[in-house]
Amino acid sequence: MSEPAAAPGPRGPQPDSTRTGPGRLLVAVYALFALAASARAGVQIATKFGHAPVAYVLSAFAGLVYILATVTLADGSPAARRIAVVSCSVELAGVLAVGTWSLADPATFPDATVWSGYGSGYGFVPLVLPVFGLLWLRRCARRARTLRTTATSAEDAGQAADGAGHGRDGGPGHSAEDVVADGRN
Amino acid sequence: MSSVNGAVPTTIIIAGLALAGYALVMTARNRRMTVPLLAAVGVLEVLLLVLVGLIVARLAGGERPAGLATLIGYLIAMPFIPVAAAFWGLAERSRWGPAVIAVAGLVAAVLMVRLHQIWPVIHV
Repeated sequence: MSEPAAAPGPRGPQPDSTRTGPGRLLVAVYALFALAASARAGVQIATKFGHAPVAYVLSAFAGLVYILATVTLADGSPAARRIAVVSCSVELAGVLAVGTWSLADPATFPDATVWSGYGSGYGFVPLVLPVFGLLWLRRCARRARTLRTTATSAEDAGQAADGAGHGRDGGPGHSAEDVVADGRN
Repeated sequence: MSSVNGAVPTTIIIAGLALAGYALVMTARNRRMTVPLLAAVGVLEVLLLVLVGLIVARLAGGERPAGLATLIGYLIAMPFIPVAAAFWGLAERSRWGPAVIAVAGLVAAVLMVRLHQIWPVIHV
C-alpha cells in the first residue's frame, strides 16, 4: 500500500483493476484450479499418502499457490498485485520443473499432480495460466501507472479532475476499465 | 450392476458444450451478460442437481465406488459451479462476463467424464 491512490474516492479504478475485463476470466479459472488442486491433494493425503508422497505434497503446494494467486488477483491492490506476480512466477517455475521431473523420473510420480507432464492431464491449462496471469499483471501495472499520471495531472488542473474522461464516477470503478479492456482486446 | 441413467450425463455434456459455444460467441461479438444466457446457466444447474440426486440415490442404495471421498467432493462442488460462474459473470460489465459462463459450461462437460472415471456406473 505504499503507492499513492489514483482516485480521490474510496473506490478508485485500481482496486478493481486485476479482476475486471480479461481478469474476470483469469480469476475464474484460477479459482477453479485452486479448488481442483487443493481438494484433490486433500483427499490424496488423507486417504493414501504413502502411495505417492512426493506427488501429493506437490499437489498440495500447487493448490496453495493457486489459492494465493486467486485471492491476490481478485483483490488487485498494489500490494496484492506484487504477491500475485510472485505466485504466478512460482507457478510457472513449478509447472516447468515438475513437468520435466515427472517425465524424467516417472517412478517418483505413480499418481499424477496438476503439474505432471506440464499439466497434460488438465489440457495444459496449468502451463498457459501463469503466462496469461503474468501478462495480465504487467498490463494492469502499466494501466495503473497511466491512470496515476493522468489523475495527478488532472488534480493539478483543479476541479476538472472528476470530469476528465476517466469515468471514475460511472459506477464502482468499472467504466474506465471497460473502455480500456474493450479497446485493447 | 446397472448404470446410472446415462441420458442425464449425456444431456449435461451437450448442454455444457452448447452453453460454452453460445457464451464464447457472445464474448467474440463483444456482448455482455444477458437474461437468456443466465437462463441457460439455470438449465445447466437443474441438470446437475438432477444428476447429484441420481448419484446420491445410488449411494443410498448401498453401492460404493473405490474413490468414495473424491465422488462426494464432486457431488458437493458440482452444483456450485454454475452458481459461482453466474455471480462472478454478472459482476462483470463487459464481454468477459459470458467468458466466465463459457468456462462453467466446459467444466460441466469435463466433470461428466471425470465422474465416469471415478465411478464407471455413471455412464455417459
